[in-house]
Amino acid sequence: MNPSTRSPLMCAVHLSVLLLVLLWTMPTAGLLISSLRDKDQLAVSGWWTALATSSRNAVARAPSPESQVERDGKFVISGNVLEGQGGQISAFGFSSREPAKFKPGETAELNDGERLTVQADGSFEIVSDQRMEGSRGQRIFFTASTPPRFTLDNYAEVLSAAGIGRSFLNSLTVAVPSTVIPILIAAFAAYALAWMPFPGRALLLAVVVGLLVVPLQMSLIPLLQLYNGVGAFFGVPAKTYMGIWLAHTGFGLPLAIYLLRNYMAGLPREIMESARVDGASDFEIFVKIVLPLSFPALASFAIFQFLWTWNDLLVALVFLGAGDDELVLTGRLVNLLGSRGGNWEILTASAFITIIVPLIVFFALQRYLVRGLLAGSVKGG
Amino acid sequence: MEQLVAAILTMVAGVLVCAAYFWGTNLILDRIFPSKGKFGAVASRNLRIANSIRPWLFLAPALLALTLYLVYPVAQSVWLSLHDRGGQNFVGISNYQWMVNDGEFRQSIFNNFLWLLVVPALSTFFGLIIAALTDRIWWGNIAKTLIFMPMAISFVGAAVIWKFIYDYRAAGTEQIGLLNAIVVAFGGEPQAWITLPFWNNFFLMAILVWIQTGFAMVILSAALRGIPEETIEAAVIDGANGWQIFFKIMVPQIWGTIAVVWTTITILVLKVFDIVLAMTNGQWQSQVLANLMFDWMFRGGGDFGRGASIAVVIMVLVIPIMIWNIRNAAKEAGGR
Amino acid sequence: MKRSLLWGAAALALLAGSAGAADLKFKPGEDSKFNWASFEEFKKGHDLKGQTLTIFGPWRGEDEALFKSVYAYFAEATGVEVKYSSSENYEQQIVIDTQAGSPPDVAILPQPGLIADLAAKGLLTPLGDETKQWLLDNYAAGQSWVDLSTYNGKDGQPALYAFPYKIDVKSLVWYVPENFEDAGYEVPKTMEELKALTEQIAEDGEKPWCIGLGSGGATGWPATDWVEDLMLRTQPADVYDKWVKNEIPFTDPAITAALDEFGWFARNDKFVDGGAAAVASTDFRDSPKGLFASPPKCYLHHQASFIPSFFPEGTVVGEDADFFYMPPYESKKELGNPVLGAGTLAMITKDTPAARAFIEFLKTPIAHEVWMAQTSFLTPYKSVNVDVYGNPPLKKQGEILLSATTFRFDGSDLMPGKIGAGAFWTGMVDFVGGKSSADVAAGVQKAWDAIK
Repeated sequence: MNPSTRSPLMCAVHLSVLLLVLLWTMPTAGLLISSLRDKDQLAVSGWWTALATSSRNAVARAPSPESQVERDGKFVISGNVLEGQGGQISAFGFSSREPAKFKPGETAELNDGERLTVQADGSFEIVSDQRMEGSRGQRIFFTASTPPRFTLDNYAEVLSAAGIGRSFLNSLTVAVPSTVIPILIAAFAAYALAWMPFPGRALLLAVVVGLLVVPLQMSLIPLLQLYNGVGAFFGVPAKTYMGIWLAHTGFGLPLAIYLLRNYMAGLPREIMESARVDGASDFEIFVKIVLPLSFPALASFAIFQFLWTWNDLLVALVFLGAGDDELVLTGRLVNLLGSRGGNWEILTASAFITIIVPLIVFFALQRYLVRGLLAGSVKGG
Repeated sequence: MEQLVAAILTMVAGVLVCAAYFWGTNLILDRIFPSKGKFGAVASRNLRIANSIRPWLFLAPALLALTLYLVYPVAQSVWLSLHDRGGQNFVGISNYQWMVNDGEFRQSIFNNFLWLLVVPALSTFFGLIIAALTDRIWWGNIAKTLIFMPMAISFVGAAVIWKFIYDYRAAGTEQIGLLNAIVVAFGGEPQAWITLPFWNNFFLMAILVWIQTGFAMVILSAALRGIPEETIEAAVIDGANGWQIFFKIMVPQIWGTIAVVWTTITILVLKVFDIVLAMTNGQWQSQVLANLMFDWMFRGGGDFGRGASIAVVIMVLVIPIMIWNIRNAAKEAGGR
Repeated sequence: MKRSLLWGAAALALLAGSAGAADLKFKPGEDSKFNWASFEEFKKGHDLKGQTLTIFGPWRGEDEALFKSVYAYFAEATGVEVKYSSSENYEQQIVIDTQAGSPPDVAILPQPGLIADLAAKGLLTPLGDETKQWLLDNYAAGQSWVDLSTYNGKDGQPALYAFPYKIDVKSLVWYVPENFEDAGYEVPKTMEELKALTEQIAEDGEKPWCIGLGSGGATGWPATDWVEDLMLRTQPADVYDKWVKNEIPFTDPAITAALDEFGWFARNDKFVDGGAAAVASTDFRDSPKGLFASPPKCYLHHQASFIPSFFPEGTVVGEDADFFYMPPYESKKELGNPVLGAGTLAMITKDTPAARAFIEFLKTPIAHEVWMAQTSFLTPYKSVNVDVYGNPPLKKQGEILLSATTFRFDGSDLMPGKIGAGAFWTGMVDFVGGKSSADVAAGVQKAWDAIK
């Protein structure tokens, strides 16, 4: 299609895009790999080592003396330090001071007359002449090269959390109307600001830009006060879905108006002029020409607004509440982390679970962003 | 499930109400001041009146929502900033006096300035480059999706991701942070990146650039696609090469959009707070205004007066951007 | 006689209410270790069917499930529907909700500094003299709990606004007994011995301590626990009390000395895993993992009783890992056995019969025993049966709490939020980063002056 597809320049384009993509996906890839790793490994080795066979130092505990069996007049406890995970033992020991004193196959004399042997495949035997005592098994330190190990446990833990389905629905309930309502309101306002001359238009636009910067945290208390007042007046609860939809609408409007106005202002003047000559009113021009033409901008804004409401935590907590029935997905996942902050393994898995829906939305809307739609309609108009 | 159905119904109802409002008010306006079918002075008078009212009909719902959700809290903030911590006793400008003399506040202003310089520029730059490059390759959409992905991650998630990059372990032990692992692999000394004063600002900025590039890319890509193909084809026929087409033809055409992206990200930077809160909470001299405000507002019972006065400063900082936008809008209007 | 009568009543009530009792963790009347009589008595006195009670607390995840198992008994006894909620940013949320006029009925918070603020704004309901007397009579070291729960109201008058419920002991040093065995180390009985042990481990070429201050937005707080523990061991309790109220300045030699004492441990590259540079940036949740590494990265870890949740999976406290009481100085015998702790306090943010009843419920032994019997719950309530404690380590912590000659609440929680959850944290980060104790103290004092 493009005459220069095979030029060296195109190669450079491919290469640089590849580089940028790698740079941008590297952090997320780290998250994905980490979310599939064992929670204890997560904190001790880099995620990029997850695929390589790694050498690790670990401690295993032999079964307690209760499990000893008598064999040829000797008492034996046996087992495998690798517990079926596969790998090779390269050294072992029984003291934290000398964790790699012995080679596999050698026999270590434990302090109390017991003898420990660990084979390269991880199987071990503790042999004693007397019956062994105590309630805790012997610690066995070993150095092993282990093949990569991945687990879905982290995901299972997140997904099995009570109430997560409910929270998923809550999030959808919050996000969908909060995305659609502001678009329509903003589109009309944006058209007025872009194509309808009236006094004070530039000033109004500047105010909208200024409102973009209002820190959200600032408005929480005044608004909640207002909601409580309204709720008390009409005898309805102050924290409702209606309230949060309107709040998200209000907070999302400046960006929506600003983005849409700029997009609409860039539409070719001729189309509108010719429609006006044909006798179309502003309303008709807006509905029949501007709205369809603005689809890419509408779609992009929809994506952003959806992402923002989906990932939002603060607004939902304040205007909807933190109760079990009202909690949104982000709130539920944050609660999963426990009262003292973050468990990485849960965070990594849950970050991936929350990301799925926004990505679906992006894929669905991305189709509308393709060239044909816009170019075709411009030509047709 | 019920509530989702209810939500969808409300949404449809909401959309219908909005549509009915716009359509209905427009119809009423045309009935009261009909211009079609009338002649001469009456028609032009009615047309003039209708045209001066119609913009306000279009704007009314938006203005209502903006006033309620944004203008009212702004007014409230200004009022609070002149009061004490509980918001009850008038204290004049003493909150502002305190602020000017506060070392942490000055630190935040300086850091915010750095953020304003770096983040919008880099995000827009990368966004534009990626949008332009991916437009011409067959796997462009895949590339775009991958680069867009950070946008879909919540700030909590982003903080975790970057912890795996900036993590620090003592020299000699295995690094689990990618950046330190690379440094060590090249024989360097590992660093506790986010605790290095001044430089840590840039490590935090990288996170926001990483997230916002997707935003810039999507908007700019839509704009690039809006460029009429004729102009590009004409340039190709004239023998222009890729660089020339990009810088001389495409960039000027979407200049307005670039400005919009820049402005939006600049404003977002003024509000940046989650990243700083999650990564350093303003320690190691990485404080920024929005986080400082949040701190005063809510930590330990909160001091609404000081929190609000910092919020007012954030809002004042946006004035140059507003003026610039007014000028732009005026220029556009004049150009037509 | 009276007892058996009560048992009979209990059995009857059990028959009557057996349908709802199915959700209860321990069936009323079944295990005689529990004080079921108190439950039945409470049940008789409170019938609030149809009412709801909203509780806002700091517990999430595992702790939330544990708390739910406790209030299930309240719901069972009164017929009240309980709605519990929490959030990661509960500190901000409670400010927003109370300020905006939509508070929960009962709030449970761990920060006295925040409670003082809410009380001063008139957002809390006083609990009355009866509750005050109850605390004096029934909690070990009752007066210190009353002091902790008394705040100035909007009118400036002090009153009892909060009810302490659930305590954490902070003065603990964690270690791996088998590692001590392998190396031949002994559990120190005095601070001098602890310091000698630290030096000995360093001489053996190992790292004695794992210290991590990282905690995202709250980075620095583990160090404040250290300093408070050392304050209590170097200074009389009244100096500590003056310190947290800023009646003596932060720059006082007593305080800089405690800072330097912490510095002795944390600022020596030979004493800390990763060296002093790693202290501020290591996450407190990751740092105890060094105890369990092979070979061990460190031998000692100072942290509160909650830390086993961050030990590697399958670690049995009491066997694989254990703790000892952070010892006092031999040279300062007169200071006794001070214990640093933290805890949560319940308060009424909206005065309803159900909220009142809930505070009454917290006065019953059963409200304590149900949680004790599970995990991570300590109580100073004298009338509970200590045999109920769910595991030996918990019991041991309970004993540390009871044998304390001085109990003091976490000082950083008592200080105003801007200091205790701000300047003090940041100061400690700067301190381990190499700033002198005098400069750090001056910085914190300056921040304190700014909010006066």
